[in-house]
Amino acid sequence: MRITYSWLKDYIHFEENPFALADKLTNVGFEVEEIIPLVQPFRGVVVAKVEKVSKHPDADKLRVCKVSDGKESFQVICGAPNVAAGQYVPFAKVGAHLPGDFKIKKARIRGIESFGMICSKEELGLEKQSDGIWPFDEKYPLGADVYQLLAEKQDYIYDFFITPNRPDCLSAIGIAREIAAITGLPLRMPKVNLSSVVSNHSHPLPKVTIEDSDGCPRYSARIIRNVEIGPSPQWMQERLEACGIRPINNIVDITNYVLMEYGQPLHAFDLRQIKGGEIIVRSSRPNEKFITLDDKERILPESTVLICDRERAVAIGGIMGGQNSEVSSTTKDILLESAYFKPTRIAFSSKKLGLSSEASQRFERGVDPNGIMEASDRAAALMAELARGEIDQSVTDVYPVRIEPKSIRFRPERINRVLGSHIAEDKIVTLLEGLGLSIKGGFVTVPTFRVDLSQEIDLAEEVARLLNYANLPTHHSVQIRYDLEETSSDRLLAFLRDELIHLGLQEVFTNSMLKESEAELFQNGKNIRILNPISDDMTTMRPSLLPGLLKAVAYNVNRNMSDGRFFEIGRIFTNYQENELPQQPYALAVVITGRRYPESWNNPQEVVDFYDIKGYVENFLSKIFLDNFHFILYDKDSYMAKGETISIETGQHRIGLCGKISPEIVRFFDVNQDVYGFELNIDLLAGFLNQSRPYKPIARFPYSERDMALVVDQSVPAEEILSFIRRTGGKLLHFTDVFDVYEGDKIPAGKKSLAIRMRFQSMEKTLSDKEVDKIFHKIIKECGKQFQASLRK
Amino acid sequence: MLVKIEEIRKAFEKDISSVKDRASLEELRVKYLGRKGQISSAFTLMPQVPAEQRKSFGQGLNILKNRIEQQYQALKASFEETSRDTGRIDLSLPGRKGFVGRKHPLVAVADEIKDIFRGFGFTVEDGPEIETDFYNFEALNIPKTHPARDMQDTLYITEDVVLRTHTSPVQIRVMQRQKPPIRMIAPGRVYRRDTPDASHSPFFHQVEGLAVGKDVTFADLKGIIQAFAHRMFGKDINVRFRPSFFPFTEPSAEYDFSCVFCRGEGCRVCKHTGWMEISGAGMVHPNVFRAVGIDPEEYTGYAFGMGIDRIAMLKYGIDDIRLFFENDLRFLTQF
Ligand SMILES: [Zn+2]
Repeated sequence: MRITYSWLKDYIHFEENPFALADKLTNVGFEVEEIIPLVQPFRGVVVAKVEKVSKHPDADKLRVCKVSDGKESFQVICGAPNVAAGQYVPFAKVGAHLPGDFKIKKARIRGIESFGMICSKEELGLEKQSDGIWPFDEKYPLGADVYQLLAEKQDYIYDFFITPNRPDCLSAIGIAREIAAITGLPLRMPKVNLSSVVSNHSHPLPKVTIEDSDGCPRYSARIIRNVEIGPSPQWMQERLEACGIRPINNIVDITNYVLMEYGQPLHAFDLRQIKGGEIIVRSSRPNEKFITLDDKERILPESTVLICDRERAVAIGGIMGGQNSEVSSTTKDILLESAYFKPTRIAFSSKKLGLSSEASQRFERGVDPNGIMEASDRAAALMAELARGEIDQSVTDVYPVRIEPKSIRFRPERINRVLGSHIAEDKIVTLLEGLGLSIKGGFVTVPTFRVDLSQEIDLAEEVARLLNYANLPTHHSVQIRYDLEETSSDRLLAFLRDELIHLGLQEVFTNSMLKESEAELFQNGKNIRILNPISDDMTTMRPSLLPGLLKAVAYNVNRNMSDGRFFEIGRIFTNYQENELPQQPYALAVVITGRRYPESWNNPQEVVDFYDIKGYVENFLSKIFLDNFHFILYDKDSYMAKGETISIETGQHRIGLCGKISPEIVRFFDVNQDVYGFELNIDLLAGFLNQSRPYKPIARFPYSERDMALVVDQSVPAEEILSFIRRTGGKLLHFTDVFDVYEGDKIPAGKKSLAIRMRFQSMEKTLSDKEVDKIFHKIIKECGKQFQASLRK
Repeated sequence: MLVKIEEIRKAFEKDISSVKDRASLEELRVKYLGRKGQISSAFTLMPQVPAEQRKSFGQGLNILKNRIEQQYQALKASFEETSRDTGRIDLSLPGRKGFVGRKHPLVAVADEIKDIFRGFGFTVEDGPEIETDFYNFEALNIPKTHPARDMQDTLYITEDVVLRTHTSPVQIRVMQRQKPPIRMIAPGRVYRRDTPDASHSPFFHQVEGLAVGKDVTFADLKGIIQAFAHRMFGKDINVRFRPSFFPFTEPSAEYDFSCVFCRGEGCRVCKHTGWMEISGAGMVHPNVFRAVGIDPEEYTGYAFGMGIDRIAMLKYGIDDIRLFFENDLRFLTQF
């Protein structure tokens, strides 16, 4: 909301300069977002006298003028028709700097030199559009700096951010009331004396019937006759323009002026257009149509408050007037409405209509139901004064159930308890009374314009803000809290993250909203869709972290950063069920692509393959204390490549997949190189982590090593052989692994040779060769039977 | 004759300082330690030395010989060392490196915030990102007509299920689950229906703070925010509280930190005000306590919010929030 500094001075004689006042208002909760000077800075413009005006020899519309700043004379070309000898004018000399970054230079216009410019108000940034130059009304001293002259009368527009709980401060008087409360100075309301301007003729009262008393608890109407429609005075137009309201004519401007002054929206009807001179307030009927002031036909939402005459609707109550009854240049008599509408009803209709106005913004937040006559009187008085209207003596005011001021419990000690302060009771009372509240017997009576004060706690804020938050105590409590239990998985996530970082992976953050086509590729169940997405790119909640990671890969690979080691930890969204929140477990995912080692003079040039991602997952799982996990071949159709994917299992649960991302999927994401990855469900995983398992003792005796090369069918998985060896070898076999794999012409076709190393060790003694060989030969024999394996010679 | 020993010593010191390579070192050896070198020649003078000085002359000459021998050997060794190294590997070539893992900058900042508040005795809590209307709005005293509930601002899954617009619903969940005293923060991702630009992202990250107890006051709120500002940005950072309005707190405040770039002097970033708006805070509204079954007569509490992305932008001078989510390696590897 915009109000000028000088306007506030109409109601209260404060001393503060515009900047100090803005600070004070910000400190009590009315944030001044911007202070705009009315006079934009300019320089090099002086008061000059036009000495001689003659016609330009080569241009009909131009004149050649001689102007003097008291010391020197200048020749200047002027195109304005209103320039005349003898005028005192603002003269921009060569080198002057005007608003809008406009510099004055020496010029030659149609062959004649011009040294400067005689300025209009527009050129000095004082009005939007000027018809000609600006001859001063006064004879200012010649050569005086025009900006300095104007700056003495400088005014400032405050652009306030008014929080939605304070509709009373969407007005000049509302803000002035706050200044009164801060400064303790008296508030001087506008003097409205109707007794001298009411008409002596007796006229019938306008008839008002409220059918919808829920939507409209109070409606007043009065008539002002024989108004002279014309422009409103300059000072009123300037103030309205400063507020961002376009002046229209004196009657409309007066209703807008009083709106900005009191915060009470008013509406002026052309009485001639009100059929039967009668007002009926009712709710709209289904699919009722109405043409508003802005010439748009609108279908009204049901139960919109409508202002009607005997035959038809003439305004949407509290939102906008109708085209059929607006004040025009031929209007003679005015019916002036001042009413109170129920906030929720206005909010509902305004939102449904998609129509918001200065009036609706105030009504939907709440105006003062008991302040409407004051505003009506003020507007009527202005219409008499500025439009020569005659005010009918009587006013119709339909107000069946009076809205009474609220009473709130008042306990000063409660206020101090919340604020952690020790403010004396009489100080608190003074502060609250300064706001117009009255206190008696442990209760506070709140004037009806303060719609935000409804509970005891609200009084604490009033006291706090008037004292200034900065002046309230600040306390650093030192208290050990050992009794609070942390229930989130935050520490687990941090632990997992650290382990992933130790593996050399870069963390990324990706959008949890995906394009539907992207999400579908990774979805097992039903998509979780957004009802009102921002764009087609963000319609569906991610069912997996992999699409986001693939996008991160694409982004970098397409910018020639083709080696990627990425991971993300975040929520994924699965298992949507009607009327229940979807499951939103934490997941972690890793993708790798490009070279196996960073590009360097001494690193081999190799690209990653399946065994790289498997190595990552093995290292990771071994570090996070996951008990009893194993891998099985995963061969279903999915976003993972068939034949290069394993499932990570613990017990009966699959906690994730690991392997090559399907090449079609990778290409879908605009990546043209292989990508490997794995994804784990952390919520599932968490149940199998055993971070407090006891340590295993270390064997103190040397081990004996035996190697063998087993020739088996290519289809036999190595892991099957290794686990068979482990079972067969018993507890003295403490290590076994494959150290070489051979397939080729030195062994029969369809076979592979696995070189397996075994280490035997006892906790109690050094094993003899005999003991070791006994187990070793048993393993060879059993493997031979189990896998039709032979030893490679 | 002892003068003669001193002469040799001085000459040797001078000569050795100009030795640059193996050849000149060899010349030095021959000149002093060779069969016809200075030391040997000096020994041949022995018979001419008066008998009473002969012993000390011999001793002095031997000491000098040993010293020259030592210095010669040391220099020889150092020549051999250098020639071997420079001859075989180039130490200036880059070392053999693997890939380096890093946290996302927002995680680094969130970790810092969590560390600070855990140090103040807060726990870290969490809640779902897809929330019900009850937790995101109703329990927080946000009425049905409030503009925040508008489809223009909030992303809906169904009429009653939303993408949480703030981390405040975690307050409600924790208060339902736990009896006071409560002292917690809840970091996490939130969503708004904003079109992405330099200062808006449809998803971003917040930290919610909540303390509830029998004697938790507005003064404690001011204290905790000030303590946080000092730990996060330094002891010269001032904190300013301004009255504001949020449905779930009363009294409500906006809080500002003095500008972290100009330290309050005024600069372009803070539009010459010396202040940077951080976020909102206030005392928990009695209606919120009632919604979770806590008696507002018995307990009081404060709540505050802050933006992780915003704090990270201030900390690193980042002017475009989208950089956090583009995942450009040239950006991510700077942290
Ligand atoms: Zn600054």
